[in-house]
Amino acid sequence: MAYSDKVVDHYNNPRNVGTLDKASPEVGTGLVGAPECGDVMRLQIRVNPDTQIIEEAKFKTFGCGSAIASSSLATEWVKGRTVDDALAIKNTDIVKELSLPPVKIHCSVLAEDAIRAAIGDWKKKNATAEPAEAAAAAQ
Amino acid sequence: MLKILDSAIPVACWSCSVAHNESTLFCPNCSKIQPPPGGDYFSVFGLEPRLHLDLDILEREFHRLSRKLHPDRFARAGENEKQWSLADTALLNDAYRTLKDPLRRTQYLLKLHGAEIGEEHAGRDPQKDAKDPVRVLPDLLEEVFDLNMQLEELRTERKAGAADPQLTVALEAARSKFEGLLKVVDDDLHAQWRVWDAGSESERRAAQNRMVALLDQRRYLSHLLRDVTETLGAE
Repeated sequence: MAYSDKVVDHYNNPRNVGTLDKASPEVGTGLVGAPECGDVMRLQIRVNPDTQIIEEAKFKTFGCGSAIASSSLATEWVKGRTVDDALAIKNTDIVKELSLPPVKIHCSVLAEDAIRAAIGDWKKKNATAEPAEAAAAAQ
Repeated sequence: MLKILDSAIPVACWSCSVAHNESTLFCPNCSKIQPPPGGDYFSVFGLEPRLHLDLDILEREFHRLSRKLHPDRFARAGENEKQWSLADTALLNDAYRTLKDPLRRTQYLLKLHGAEIGEEHAGRDPQKDAKDPVRVLPDLLEEVFDLNMQLEELRTERKAGAADPQLTVALEAARSKFEGLLKVVDDDLHAQWRVWDAGSESERRAAQNRMVALLDQRRYLSHLLRDVTETLGAE
């Protein structure tokens, strides 16, 4: 099966690969895995405490081209958004943007999970009683 | 398509019209070959659906049925029977391959009981999954991630022609550690087999959830071990 041009582009030129300081209170780290394929994905965000805007995002993924492209795209999309805005990113948006085939949908799910995990970690560190968090807990 | 167990509906033999269990390859009354049965793989061999299987019986039955299905025996049979001998042979081979391998057998039986395994939860609902604690393996994930980092480092250094011997040592240590973890997972799986085979309905349900999680862990570990072995072997 051929990868779409966008997947190939992200795979060959992944955006925002790297590491942020895990210990910093401004940084949230999400580490998620897909047991069906053994992929692991780490996504980190640095949030400006005054504006709640995600100013920096880094990722490192060990997995297939689609998993790398999904996480690369996720870091591009979360940058510049507020934390709550970033939570609105859905795996289906990633599927559409990258034209992922059905067998690779779990890669986009992984990227969405990673965003949520990173934001969750950041919220836990900063223990802010966000209305969005309360809503998520009520679900 | 898999059928749930206990669905062995009696069907009439096409030849002698006597009703028989749907999963037999040959009519127990007139011994004529039957079209591929719709039951589960266990009943093809006349076995109880259990995780602990007597592999000797499985193998013996496989050879016995294979001989009975051999195309030579149907050289002068009707067109239907010829077709069925091929289709039944394919089914028998699939059933044997699935049941003789402990992991495939476990996955197969759990799937029969409605468990979602491996690729099956692609496109799943992440919100629902997050509430399912057996699937989340944070400690293991950390280690998997770190080991992947080490592997990448070693590959990069090798390409540059200067591999740090300490990194190789670290990877070899990690390999034995993960082999040990794999052993722990396998021992746990076998313990769950016993619960599943003998337990009550609620114990069975718990064992099933545990086994799905163990199979997930196992997949990580075996992928990782394969990568470590490949990288170490590439020297």
